[in-house]
Formats: sequence, structure tokens, C-alpha cells
Amino acid sequence: MADLDRESILALDNIRLDLPLAGAGSRCLAGLIDGCGVAVLLILWVLLCSVLATWVSGAWGLAAGVAGIFLIEWGYFAGMEIATGGRTLGKMALRLRVVSAEGAEAGAGSLLLRNLVRDFDYLVGVPLMAVDPLARRLGDRLAGTLVVHEERQRTVLLGRVPPGWSAREVAIVESFLARAGELRDAAARDEMARLLLSRIERDAPELLAGLDERRVDAPVGALRQALAAEEG
Amino acid sequence: MDYARFLRLRRPLWEDFSRRLEALRDAPSRQAGNVATGDHRSRDRRRGAGASSYGEVEELAFAYRQVLHDHALAANRFPGTGAARQLAALALAGSRRLARRGAAPGGLRHFVFQAFPAAFHRQLGLLGVAAAVFGAASLLGLVLAAVQPGLGSLLLGPRALAGLAEGRLWTESLTTTVPPAVASSGIATNNLTVALVAWSGGVLAGVVPLYLLILNGLMLGGVIGITLRYSMAGELLGFVAAHGPLELTLIMVAAAAGLALGRALVAAGDRPRAEAMRQAGSDSLQVLLGCLPWFVVLAVVEARISPDPSLPATLKAALGLGLLLLFFGAALAPYHAAGNGASEGDGPRR
Repeated sequence: MADLDRESILALDNIRLDLPLAGAGSRCLAGLIDGCGVAVLLILWVLLCSVLATWVSGAWGLAAGVAGIFLIEWGYFAGMEIATGGRTLGKMALRLRVVSAEGAEAGAGSLLLRNLVRDFDYLVGVPLMAVDPLARRLGDRLAGTLVVHEERQRTVLLGRVPPGWSAREVAIVESFLARAGELRDAAARDEMARLLLSRIERDAPELLAGLDERRVDAPVGALRQALAAEEG
Repeated sequence: MDYARFLRLRRPLWEDFSRRLEALRDAPSRQAGNVATGDHRSRDRRRGAGASSYGEVEELAFAYRQVLHDHALAANRFPGTGAARQLAALALAGSRRLARRGAAPGGLRHFVFQAFPAAFHRQLGLLGVAAAVFGAASLLGLVLAAVQPGLGSLLLGPRALAGLAEGRLWTESLTTTVPPAVASSGIATNNLTVALVAWSGGVLAGVVPLYLLILNGLMLGGVIGITLRYSMAGELLGFVAAHGPLELTLIMVAAAAGLALGRALVAAGDRPRAEAMRQAGSDSLQVLLGCLPWFVVLAVVEARISPDPSLPATLKAALGLGLLLLFFGAALAPYHAAGNGASEGDGPRR
């Protein structure tokens, strides 16, 4: 399972906290989706004000139109992030969230600050994000915020591990078991499971006791049973 | 400790912490704040929400610390494993919900009487710089208008110059052809945009606020110089008397706030640049937010009162002066330095 890029910050008691940071690519994509959202909002607002101008008052329709366009342009990002705890439509779509530099929920002031300088970040933000280890644009630096992926990955945890296996081997088996249900090529999946079972037979044959029949019929299930794998 | 034993011993704690976080999710995040840092000032407000008693809050904070420790251990000893990933997600979720940095005292009253004046005091020096730049640019514009007659058509256009020659200000047509509601809305959004750009442009090392100060100063000086040439300066000053003083002041304040951002970027002093930028960002945002409502008031004045020929210029000037005094009264009001929430204040105490 591909892991997300991570950078460490120091959390409470100076304990290391790994953050799954969102890079320039995913953030630009989220920005593009938000740009479309802003365009749709502007079109809807102009249509609404046209109706107002036609049926109620031309002057008030125009006045509301000018004020609304200003508010949408300057307020969409900050308003959405404040209302949803650090997410806009684009960030929701890509499962991103703004957090404080400590990994905590960002305050309204920080969210407002990072978004009001957005216009100038269109000029310099992308290269800054690309070179910064924490992928911060100017607004993030001013407001002390970071953008992270919200992880909802399926994890499998091994309750038994053959002696001598390294963390890398454990990670490979866990990743395989987490993805086994999604793999379309059943033959290749079973082949991989058999390979792993043969490795267990070499390192800890006692884990395979009573599984001889399952090893042939359902190798993935046998692997799960041998290693006492559970959904995390 | 091997991986399986680590899971066997610690996993119940992670699941318990996850359940507690889920329970807390229903409670507003503000109520959950500062649990991890041991700030229980608001525990009474939390009762009946997520964590219902002091003991539960303590347990939650303890569990959070244990999860952080386990996460650090797993990331170091078992990198890439399901446990490391699960703990990373749990630690982040816990930090997001619990480790909120001490929130600044909130409320409109606190902002108006404490946060805004405190931030304004801290940026008074830069307001002086902005005013000096604007004043110098205005003087230059005035001199240029006097020595370069061609500047008039460049700044105002030939139609406005023809109007001046006939004794009419170009502002008359602007205010008579546009309905007041549209004019107010347009003026407010235009001024707000200028202020926001002057402030936010500070992130480009302060270049944008400086540019706007010089540009607006040159234009003001130049326009006054041109109207002086046509003996219409009195009419122009009568038109701007009600809204001009505060409007120009607010633009200078916004530009000064932008210069604060630029200064933090270019010359952070003896602090880390990130910390200097965060401090400047917080202060300057408060200054900017304190200015924004005044632009709405000014838009009404500029669209309704300034163009009204029936009102005497002295009354407009008195209104302009009154608005300016009101603004500075609010901005320079004494405040409690310790309660400003942004930094160690050094301003006057009430």
C-alpha cells in the first residue's frame, strides 16, 4: 500500500508527530475544484441579482450583485474553511484538511489570514509549496497552518509475527492482506498468499498447524488465520 | 518489544482512545479545546457534552499522551506497518480535536476594546512610515501638476479637464448618473479591495503597499494641483471633506499593516522568521479587520453626503473630522496589554 509523504513536527511534550502532508499537486487540484465552485457561485449570484433587478429594483439588484461578487471572491475560501473546520469543496473532494502547525484544529483567525493573501499566493505559492518540506505557501507561513491528508486507509494488523521478521516484512504482509479483497486477479493473489505461507512455514511452521487444507483451497484466509490478522 | 506483543499490550488503549474521540465528535470543538495541555478552565461548559467529568478529561488527556508516545515508538521501530499508520491517523485526529493551542479570548467586545487597539498600537511606527511615504508622494504629485500641465489629461482625461474649465467637477456626473445604492456598494467594495490588496500585498516583501501608497499619493497631489490650476480646489476639497480624511487614513493603515507583513518577511530580527511572520500576520489581520467596517460607513457617506450640494462644506468637514476622531478614538483606546491574545503587549493599561 503506497504510504503518504510524511513530515514530522513536534507535538505535545516534544513527541514526534508524523503528518501526512498534502503536496503541491493535490492542493492545486483542490484549488482547481474550488475555482470551479467559485465560478458556479458567481454565475448563480449574477442570475439571482438579475432576477432581483428585473422584478424588484434595478439599482438594488446591481448593488447586491456588486457586493455579493466581492464577498464570494474574497470570502469563499475563508468562509468554507471556517464553517467546516478547515475544508473547502476541493479539499473535501480530495480528503484534505487545514490544521495548525501543531496538528490541531486551525482557528478562525488563522483560516481567514491564510486565505486573504491567496491572490498573491497564486503568484508565488506553488514554487514555495514545491520546495518547502512542509509544503507551505505564504498564507500557511503567515497563519501557521499546514494542509494534511485525512487518512481513511484500511489497515490490517498482525496478531502473530514469525520470529525474525522485520517491520518491512510485516508491512508488506499487512498491506497485501488489506488489499487482497480488491485484487481482481484471483490467481495472482492466491499465488502471492502461497508464497507468503511458504515463508511462514520456513520461519515458524507452528503457526500453520491445522491449516493444511485451507492453504490449498483458500490461501489468503489461511494466511489471515496463521498470522491472526485483524482489521485495524 | 516485538510487533505482536506491542499490539497485544497497547491496542486496547488505542481503541479506547478512538472511542472517546468519537464520543467527543458530537461536542463542539471549542468545548474540547486544551484538554491535552491540561487547561480545564472550560470543563464546566464541557459537562454533558463529550467528556462529562473532570476525571474523564484527565483520562482523555492521559490517553492522548500515550497514543502520541506509541505513535513515536511505532514510527521508529515499526515504520510502514499497519500499527504505525493507524497510530499516525489516531495521533493526528487526537491532536486536531484536543491539542488546540490556547484560543485567544473571543467575542466582539474583546476585539473592539482589546485586540484591535493593542494591534494598532504595535503598528503605529509603520503607520508613521506609511503616512510619510503617502505625504511625500502627494507633495511630489502637487509639484508635478504645477510644473507639468500635461499631467492633467493623463490623470483625469480630457472630458474632466473640459468640465473643470467650465467650472464643473468630474465627480458631479459620477454621483448624478449612478443610483446611491449602486454607488455605495461600488465604493465600499472598491475601497475594501484596495485595502485588502494593500494589506495582503505585504507578503511580497512590502512592495505592493508601498506601490499603492506612492500611486495614491501621486494621484491625490496631482488632482489637487490640477484643480488648483483651474481654481476648483475648494470645490474638490468640499466634496472630499466628509469622507476623504478617514478614507485616506484607512488606506494608510491597511498599507502599514501590509508593511508589517513585509517587514517580518524581510527583517525578522532576532526571532525565527516563521514566528515573526505568524506574529505579524496575527497583528496585521486584527488591524485590517478593525478597519473594514469603517469602509462601509464611508461608502454611505461618500455616496449620500459628499455629493449633496445642499449641505455646506463646513458641515461635511465637521463630519469628516468627527469620523476621523471616532476611528482614532477606537484605535488608540487604552487596553489591557496582557489580554491582547497575540503577544506580550507593551501598550498602555486602562
